[in-house]
Amino acid sequence: MTPTPHLFPPPGPPSRRTVLRWGALGGTGVALGPLSACAGPTGAPGPGTLTLGLNRSLVSLDNKLNQFDAAVTVQRAVRQALTWIGPDLQPQLVLADRFEMTAPTAWSVRLREGVRYSDGSPVTVEDVDTALRMYGEVNGSFLLGLFPEMPTVEATGERTFLLRTERPVPVLDRLMANIHITPAKANRPEELQSGLGSGPYRVVSANGGAGEYTLARNTEYWGKQPPVDKVRVRFVPEESSRVIALRSGELDVVDTLTPDSAEQLAGLPGVAVQETPGVRICQLFYNFRKPKGHPLADARVRHALTYAIDGESLIRDVLIDSAEAAEGVVPLALQGAVRTGTYAYDPRRAKALLKSLDAEDLRITIMWESGEFAGDTSVMEAVIDMLKDVGVRASLRQFEPGGDILKWRQGRGGDWDVIGNGFPGTTGQALTSLQGMYGGTAEKERTRDTYMGYVIPRIERQLSDAATETDAAERDKKLAALQHAVWDTWPSLWAFAPKTLLARRDRVQGLALQPVNSYDLTAVRLEG
Amino acid sequence: MSTAVGTRRPSAVTARDLARATATRQRRGARFKLWAGAVCTALVVLPVALAGLLPLPGANAQDLSRRRLPPLSEGHLFGTDQLGRDLLSRILHGGQVSLTVGVLAVLVSGLIGIAAGSAAGFFGGWVDALVSRFLEAQLALPLLMMLLLVVALFGPSVTVITCVIAVAQWPEVARLTRSLVLVEREKPYVAAARVLGLRSWSVLVRHVIPNVVRPASLVVLLLLAQAVLLESALSFLGAGPQRPFATWGRIISDGQDYITTSWWLVTLPGLVIVVLVVGVNLLGDGLRDRTRTGSRARLRKGA
Amino acid sequence: MPTYLARRIGQSLLTVFLTLTTVFLLVRLAPGDPASAYAAPSATSADLARIREQFGLDEPLFVQYGYFVRDLFTGDLGTSYSFHSPALDVVLDRMPYTITLAVSAIAVTTLVAVPLGVWMARRADTRRELGANVLTIAGQSMPDFWTGVMLLTVFAVLVPVLPASGFTSWSGLVLPTVTVAVLQLALISRLVRREMSTALASSYVTVARSRGVSESALTWRYALANSSVPLVTALGTRFAALLNGVVVVEVVFGWPGVGSLVVRALETRDYPLIQATVLVTATLAILVQLLVDLAYPLLDPRVRLGKAA
Repeated sequence: MTPTPHLFPPPGPPSRRTVLRWGALGGTGVALGPLSACAGPTGAPGPGTLTLGLNRSLVSLDNKLNQFDAAVTVQRAVRQALTWIGPDLQPQLVLADRFEMTAPTAWSVRLREGVRYSDGSPVTVEDVDTALRMYGEVNGSFLLGLFPEMPTVEATGERTFLLRTERPVPVLDRLMANIHITPAKANRPEELQSGLGSGPYRVVSANGGAGEYTLARNTEYWGKQPPVDKVRVRFVPEESSRVIALRSGELDVVDTLTPDSAEQLAGLPGVAVQETPGVRICQLFYNFRKPKGHPLADARVRHALTYAIDGESLIRDVLIDSAEAAEGVVPLALQGAVRTGTYAYDPRRAKALLKSLDAEDLRITIMWESGEFAGDTSVMEAVIDMLKDVGVRASLRQFEPGGDILKWRQGRGGDWDVIGNGFPGTTGQALTSLQGMYGGTAEKERTRDTYMGYVIPRIERQLSDAATETDAAERDKKLAALQHAVWDTWPSLWAFAPKTLLARRDRVQGLALQPVNSYDLTAVRLEG
Repeated sequence: MSTAVGTRRPSAVTARDLARATATRQRRGARFKLWAGAVCTALVVLPVALAGLLPLPGANAQDLSRRRLPPLSEGHLFGTDQLGRDLLSRILHGGQVSLTVGVLAVLVSGLIGIAAGSAAGFFGGWVDALVSRFLEAQLALPLLMMLLLVVALFGPSVTVITCVIAVAQWPEVARLTRSLVLVEREKPYVAAARVLGLRSWSVLVRHVIPNVVRPASLVVLLLLAQAVLLESALSFLGAGPQRPFATWGRIISDGQDYITTSWWLVTLPGLVIVVLVVGVNLLGDGLRDRTRTGSRARLRKGA
Repeated sequence: MPTYLARRIGQSLLTVFLTLTTVFLLVRLAPGDPASAYAAPSATSADLARIREQFGLDEPLFVQYGYFVRDLFTGDLGTSYSFHSPALDVVLDRMPYTITLAVSAIAVTTLVAVPLGVWMARRADTRRELGANVLTIAGQSMPDFWTGVMLLTVFAVLVPVLPASGFTSWSGLVLPTVTVAVLQLALISRLVRREMSTALASSYVTVARSRGVSESALTWRYALANSSVPLVTALGTRFAALLNGVVVVEVVFGWPGVGSLVVRALETRDYPLIQATVLVTATLAILVQLLVDLAYPLLDPRVRLGKAA
C-alpha cells in the first residue's frame, strides 16, 4: 500500500490563502500607516520643549470665539494686541507705544516702531482697523459683550490713528488687550484656522480637531527672544489624567486645576502648585423672576437663607481652601471692587428669621450645569444638606453641558430657585462684571437677556452713570456706592471667588500666574 | 466472573473512570459555575436588597469633618467619600437603583426581543426583512452615542434609562428567538395546529412562543450582566438618574478625581460591580452548560 | 457575485441613509441649543437668533432636512460649529486614532484568545480549563471605565512606566488596548473553544490522525482552519463595534479618537459633527461586515455568495 501523505488535497490554487495573507498584511499597513507620523518614540517632553496640558480643547489660535483663560496664554504667544493687562491688572503697551485718551470719546494710538509679523511684514494701521471690524461681525463672541460699543479707527499717519467711540468708554485701553491683530488681508469675521501673528512664537504644527499645537520661536520677533525653544499644547480632558501626567513629567504645566487635584499635587517632589486670587465669581444666585408674593421675591427671605450656609466649612472641606468666600458682589481681586459685607453662618437665626417671615416650609430647586465651577457637585450636595438642617427642603437639577440650561436660566424651561453660576472677570475690571450681572433693564428683560432676571432700575441707573464717568477717582467712588447697594439686595445664597490654581514641574521657572488665569509665556524658562 | 455481588459493578468502568469521564467533568464544571455564581451574586444582591435594614449610616448623611476616611475606619467599613458619606451605604443604596434598572431593562428587552424575533421567524417575508434591517442598522450605529442622545432627549430618569438599555439589548434576544422559531415552525405540531384551523397568530402565541421562551430565557442572566455594565457606563458619562441618586457608575466617576490619594473611592465600587457581574455571568453560563449536557443526556437516553 | 455585491451595497447604503436620517431628527428633537452652546454666556437673544440663522437652524425642520440631503449627495456634511472647519475633515482627522486602537485591540485579542481557545479545547473540561474560563469571564465582567482607571492607577501612578493619556508615543497605546482586549477575550476564546471541540471530535480529524498527521497540524491546519468562518465573523463584528468608537475607553485615556469626539460633539450640540461621525463610523462598520461576508468563500470554498443568502 502506497502511503498517501495527502488525504486532503494540498492547499489548492495559491489564490485563496495567498489572498488572505496578503489581505491581512495590507489591511494592517493601511490602518497603521497614517499614524506612524503622529507618534514619536517617547512621551516625555524634550529638554527645550515646554508641554502644556489644557483641560479644554484649544480649537484655534484665534480668540474671536474661543476665549478661555488658558487659551489666551497660548493665543497671545502667537498673536498680539495693542495692549495687555499686566500682573497688577494695569494695562501695558505691546504693539502700541502710545495709547492715550485725548478726549472723552477719542483715544490717540501709535504703533510701535518696527513691529512685524513672523514673515517680516510690518503691522499696519489697516490691520488694526480690519481686526476691529472683523471682531465686530462675529456672531456669539464673548468679547463683544465686554465692549459697550466697538470703536472705529481713524488713521492719522502711517503709524498713528485715533480710536473713536460714540459715548465715553473709559476702559478702552484695557478692552483693546483682547483684540488680536493679524494681517488685514487674511482676517475674516470668523475664527481663523491659520495665519500670521506678531508674537514671539509661530505655529509649527496645528491639529485643531485634537487640540494639539506645536509652537516654535519666531526668529523674526520684533522684541526680545523668549527663553523656551518650543511649546507643545495638549488637550487632556480628564482631570485625573492631567494630574497623573504632570506627576510623571509628561506635562510641564497644568492650569485651571480643581482643588482636589491641587491637593493631590501639593507637596509632591518635582511639582509646585501656584495660586493667586481669582477674578471669577461663583454664585448660588437667586431667581429674580419670582412673582410678587413668593418668599424669594423678598430680600429679607433671601438674606435669612444665607445664614443656613456654612461657608467656612464649604471653603475648608469641600473646596479645600482653594477659594475665598465672597466679601463683595464681585471678587476683590478686580480693579474697583470693594468689601461690602460677609456671609455669616447661623442656622438658628436662619430658622427664626424664616419663621418670622412666614417662609418656614420653603422648598427650593437648585440647578447648575456640570463643570460650571470646580467641585460643583460636591458644593451642591453639601448645600442641600445644610438647607435641610434649617428645615428647607432642596432638590438638585444637574444639566449636562450642551443641554438646555440656557432656556431654564431665561425662565423658559421651568421653575427654579437658585442657580449655581460662575461669572468671569476677563477684563480685570469690576465695572464689566457689575454691568454683566446687575445692569438688567426692563427692555432687556423682554427678550430675557438679563442676568437671572435681576432688574432693579435704581441700580441700573447708578451703573450707567459710573460707566461713563471719565474721571477715575470719581468713577471708583460711584462704583463703591453701587456695590453696597447691590449687596443689600441679597442676590446670592452664597458666593465665592475660586483662586486661580496651576501646577508646574520644578524645571519650569519664571511663570507669573495672573488673576485672570493666564500668564506671559515669554517669561517662562526651562531649567535642568 | 460470576461472583458479582451487589457491591461490585458488572463492568470494567471503575468509579474513577466515571469521575474522569467527560460528562461527569462537564457536570462538575457546570455545578462549580452555578455555585460560585450563586455565591458571588448573593454576596452583592443580598446586602443591596437589605440595605435599608442594615445598621448603616444614611447614604446621603454628610459629615464634612470626616471626609475621605480610608476603609476599616471606625464605623465605616468601606471608608467615606469626599463629603464624608459612608461609602458602603452609598454603594448598597446605589446598587438598588442600578439593579432595578438592570432587571427592568432585561424584562423589557426580553419582551421586545421575543415579540420581534418570533414574528420575524414565524411570518418571514416583509416582517423578517424589516426586523433584520433594524438589527443590521443597530450593529452599524455608534450605540453609546445613540443612548446618550436619547437620554438627553427624554431626560435622565430611571424609566428612560431602563428603556434605553432595553433598546440596546433587544437585538440579542430577537436574533436568538428568530433562529429558534425558524426551527420550531417546521415541526409537525405547527402543521397540525394549522390543519386544525388555528390562525397563524394563535399558533405563534399559543404554541410556538411557549416552546422557545425557555431556551431564549437562558440569555436573560447574561443580558442582566450587560445591563448592569451599560447602566454604569451611562452614569459614568453623566447620563445617569438625577442626583442625589447614587448609582455605581456615578460613584466611580466622582471618585476618579481622587485616585492618587483615595484609592477606595474607585476601587471598591468597581469591585462590587465585578463581583456581581461575574456572579451573574457564571450563573448564566452554568445554567446553559447544564441544559446543554442535560439535553444531550436526554437525547442519549431517548435513543 | 456582482448582483450579490450590488444588492448588498444597495442595502447598506439604504441602512446608512436611514440611520443618518434618524440621527438628524434625534439631535434636533433633543433639548439643548447649538447656538447657546456656541455663544458666550453673555450672548443676548438677538445674538443667538443671528447664530441660529448662520447655522441655518431658523428654517423649518423639513427644509433643513432638504438641504441636508442635497448637501449629502455632494459630499458636504456642513461645517462643524465648534471646530469651524468641515465636519467630515474633523472626523477623518480623528479616524486614524480610532482605527489604530481598534486594530491593535483586535490584534491583541486574536493573538491571545485564539491560542487560549485552542488550549481550552484540548484541555476541555479539566480544572485548568475551568480556571481559564472563569478568568476570561471575570475580564468580561469588568466595566471598561473601571478597568481603565485601575490600569492607570497601577501603571501610571504607582509604577509610572506608561503614559496616562493621549497618543504621544506608541507606549500610550498599551493601556487602552489592554482595557479593550480584556473585555473581548472571553467572547472570542470561548467561541474558538467551542468550534475547536466540535472540529476535533469530527470524523475527518479522526481519519487524519489515524493517517499519522501530527497533532499540531491537526489542530492548526485542519481544525482551526475549519473554525475560521465563525471566528472571522465574530472578530469582524467586534472590530466594527470598535470602529464605532470605544467611547468610554477613549474618554478615560484622553484618546483623540472618534469616541471622545462624539462626547464633545454632543456637549456642544454640534449637529454637523454628530452627523458626520455617524456617517463615517456607520459606513466603516458596514464595510467591515461586507468584507467579512466576502471573505467567507475564501475561508470556506463551499460557500457561494448570493445563493445561501
